[in-house]
Amino acid sequence: MASIDTTAKKIEQQEVKEVAQNFSIAPIVKDYLALKNALVSDNDKAAANAGKQLYTTLKNVDMKAIPANKHKQYMEIAEDAQENAEHIGDNAGKIAHQREHLASLSKDVSDLIALFGTTQKLYQDYCPMYNDGKGAVWISEAKAIKNPYYGSQMLTCGSVKKEF
Amino acid sequence: MKKVLKIILAIVLFIFIAIQFYQPALNVDKGQVYTTDFTQFYKMPVQIKAMFQTSCYDCHSNNTKYVWYDYVQPARALVENHIKNAKEDLNFNEWGTYSNRKQERLLNSIKEQIETKQMPLSSYTLMHTDAKLNDEQIKTLTDWLKEQE
Repeated sequence: MASIDTTAKKIEQQEVKEVAQNFSIAPIVKDYLALKNALVSDNDKAAANAGKQLYTTLKNVDMKAIPANKHKQYMEIAEDAQENAEHIGDNAGKIAHQREHLASLSKDVSDLIALFGTTQKLYQDYCPMYNDGKGAVWISEAKAIKNPYYGSQMLTCGSVKKEF
Repeated sequence: MKKVLKIILAIVLFIFIAIQFYQPALNVDKGQVYTTDFTQFYKMPVQIKAMFQTSCYDCHSNNTKYVWYDYVQPARALVENHIKNAKEDLNFNEWGTYSNRKQERLLNSIKEQIETKQMPLSSYTLMHTDAKLNDEQIKTLTDWLKEQE
């Protein structure tokens, strides 16, 4: 019994070590997707909760796990993402304002994926109408277009721009 | 009854005087010039610069032009707390220290906030009438902001 226990412990330790070496943005992406999906379904309260969750996740990122050469870039993106998440969390009842921050946040998450990669299949979608026709991107876990900027108003508006 | 009323009034007056002793630090910079300031960062017409300074800088910079009742509690604490939060989101004096990413996001946010008349706050323009933006001014500002994006 004792030997099994120690083997289990060893494996556990190894896993911890690997996690530390390969920094993953998966928890950030997971929270982002929940937030994005809340806005797809026009749910400002769920979006606010997801925003708060994402804020906490970003705050708890172990900076030591991030490779030194990507540290500076990560800091800059994460700081911005954190502010966006905080504002979305604070603005239940103001879905238009939450969506404004989603546009900026989506850019942040998109850049994080470009920087660190993803094991999950993800799509970068594009809505050409948002922000007075300037357009905005969002990240989705599904190929089918579900627009978080307009929700039920224009659910299928947009196109897949890139696949990760 | 009259006696009770007098006592209550005395207590209220006492509390009012007591809280006056709490005076947090003022948000003033004594005319410091910032090389990182928003108005230094972009080329802008004088009237646009003046609009930003009159309508935004009281809360979103290191220098507030206080009015007399801002010195009186409990307004004093409220105003100071409000300025602190405002500066955390955006401090025009520190614009040059922000990353490109942040500047881009803020430009868009400033435009949206002005366009949808959420800023300057109506609770602020109620007493600071010169800070209120009319439709023409809003258009001038938002057009200019769109050009910078």
